[in-house]
Amino acid sequence: MAKVRPKKHAPHTDMTAMTDVAFLLLTFFIMTATFKSNEAEITTPSSISQIKVPDDDIMVISIDKAGKVFFGVDAKPVRAAMLENIGQSKGITFTETEKAKFALQSSFGFPLNQLKPWLNMTKEQMPNVKQPGIPVDSTGASELADWVYAARKANNQLRIALKGDNLSKFPVFKDVLANLQSQNINKFNLITGSEQAPAGYTNE
Amino acid sequence: MAAIEESGGGHGKGDGKVRAKKMSTRVDMTPMVDLGFLLITFFMLATTMSKPTSMSLAVPDKTEDKEKETEPLKASKVLTLFMGANDDVYYLDGVAADDDKAEASLKTTRYGFDLRSVIFASQKRINAANPKDEKGNEAFVVVIKPTPVSTYKNMVDVLDEMAITKSKRYALVDNLTDSEKKLLGDKIKDKN
Repeated sequence: MAKVRPKKHAPHTDMTAMTDVAFLLLTFFIMTATFKSNEAEITTPSSISQIKVPDDDIMVISIDKAGKVFFGVDAKPVRAAMLENIGQSKGITFTETEKAKFALQSSFGFPLNQLKPWLNMTKEQMPNVKQPGIPVDSTGASELADWVYAARKANNQLRIALKGDNLSKFPVFKDVLANLQSQNINKFNLITGSEQAPAGYTNE
Repeated sequence: MAAIEESGGGHGKGDGKVRAKKMSTRVDMTPMVDLGFLLITFFMLATTMSKPTSMSLAVPDKTEDKEKETEPLKASKVLTLFMGANDDVYYLDGVAADDDKAEASLKTTRYGFDLRSVIFASQKRINAANPKDEKGNEAFVVVIKPTPVSTYKNMVDVLDEMAITKSKRYALVDNLTDSEKKLLGDKIKDKN
């Protein structure tokens, strides 16, 4: 008896459908991508608030879990203008390269006197340096206040967002608050993650 | 792998006619799919999907002159929350810290559901006992007192509870009075 042998087929699968799906997903992810920034790792607490953080015209004051304070402004031209403003008020002149480098940093945490050495490092060295944080104290006239002032001078439309780590202690927040209040800034946003409102909650 | 067949060697030696071989229209898409999925993986890992939300916080003006005297709060209308260490909340429900009963009525709770129940109970009790004021505001007031040992998360949690329980009148007060310090004692000392 002759054995029935299956005919040899080339293992062709029609992958068109899979490709379609794959590229659809790819398009979606590319469109929605906002990249994680490589700044200090901050885990924000969550709230039931539904208000989205605005994308532009925003300055972010971050507090990491050790209580170090970082400062960042969204737009590059504003960053450069801000550096120039603070240089003028503090009597420091920054070179064009320093300004260009500073404009590339989404946030920073250096006291003014350590800023220049940091900006003079190479691009590769810069991320490796431990940032000590911007000095903040309860008097309301520390360097953070100067930065906020310089940033608002560069763009007076800036809104202020505070981004604190879960574990940062309250006194640091209080000091940051004092710095803002001394400049008559009484309304700002706290950046939080979103969480589901408890059952039975209605938003009237 | 590629399924596009090369039509090489199709020249017959003698007949002169050049006939194009029928080409298969199948394209092997495996590398493309590979690349597609690789990129998907990359973008999935690199994106932060949930956009952070924000809660707005308005604090009273400090530079304004303090001339305007406001009516002191009656302790019976106030729920005072002290944010302690290790996610503990101490609270005084309708009792002032300098009251004799304060020590006995200081209770401890946790964030989340427990705290919410406390606020709801107090809100119900105080609003039932006191009429609304002439502006139509409810009598219930929450005074939030963060201590140096509490964290930023604690504060956001409490503010969030205010939104959840719809307590419209609350105050964030960051200095403790002497009687409060005495009352809380070691509970607000930094252990580290």
